[in-house]
Amino acid sequence: MNSPWGWPTAESIHFLGLCVLIGTVGVFDLRMLGFGQGISYEDLHKLVKFGVGGYLLNVTTGIMFLTTAPDQYIYNPAFQTKMLFMLIAGINMLWFYATTSNQVKGTDAALAVSSRAKIIALVSLISWSVIIVCGRLITYFRPPYHWCLWC
Amino acid sequence: MAIVVGINLAIALRLIGWVPQFHLSPFNRFYQIHWFGAIVVLLSGIGLLLAYPAKALTNPVFYLKFAALSIGLLIAAWLQKQIQSNRLTNFAPAKIKAIAALSIVLWILAITAGRFLAYTNSVLLASRFF
Repeated sequence: MNSPWGWPTAESIHFLGLCVLIGTVGVFDLRMLGFGQGISYEDLHKLVKFGVGGYLLNVTTGIMFLTTAPDQYIYNPAFQTKMLFMLIAGINMLWFYATTSNQVKGTDAALAVSSRAKIIALVSLISWSVIIVCGRLITYFRPPYHWCLWC
Repeated sequence: MAIVVGINLAIALRLIGWVPQFHLSPFNRFYQIHWFGAIVVLLSGIGLLLAYPAKALTNPVFYLKFAALSIGLLIAAWLQKQIQSNRLTNFAPAKIKAIAALSIVLWILAITAGRFLAYTNSVLLASRFF
């Protein structure tokens, strides 16, 4: 990672992972919110496994960044916010699969899903958008100039 | 970026056949979101270019990114037109798969070239060097 091309390569993989994640999970969330009526929920959900792959790529490269320069991350308020929203997105996802996913899979393509599913979809979309923005802002809140705001 | 590339990736995956063949005609709404994302990308790109023009325009990687991005968007527009007018079946399946695969490769190239821009420039401003 300290080689000239290591960091940019890891960043590029990180970006690709996030694009796959948004293109699959984000599109499925938008479908639950009512965009693209007529597309089958169950079929569109098959894209989500690619999103999980993208997420795993991001976790791997993210851990690579974190372990290479930990002080630049753990004291970074943008990174801390990003981790908080990842927790929110994770809990939201668990809640979805524990309660609403079977009902959504069984819903016909022409119908809308329940309001609980729509709330989950909205929380998911907003959290991932905040995560992306906070990720971009990491480099502008590097310690010690912006030392942990709430420490 | 995530909206543009993500939606293109989702459609490409569907066209290559790695996911079940769900109906593509309702995808128009997603294309609207895609083009909104493309406008945001273009406007923010112009903003970034106006901030450091010499840094970008003297960097060949920038031209590579721009070429990959333009061709990727052209392919997206072409695919949208074929989907909207139900002309996808006019083409051989192998050709559609090849175009979808090309689209994926171009977007990966655009993102990687874009990321490497920050590390490969030789000047910062036209009037002075690093």
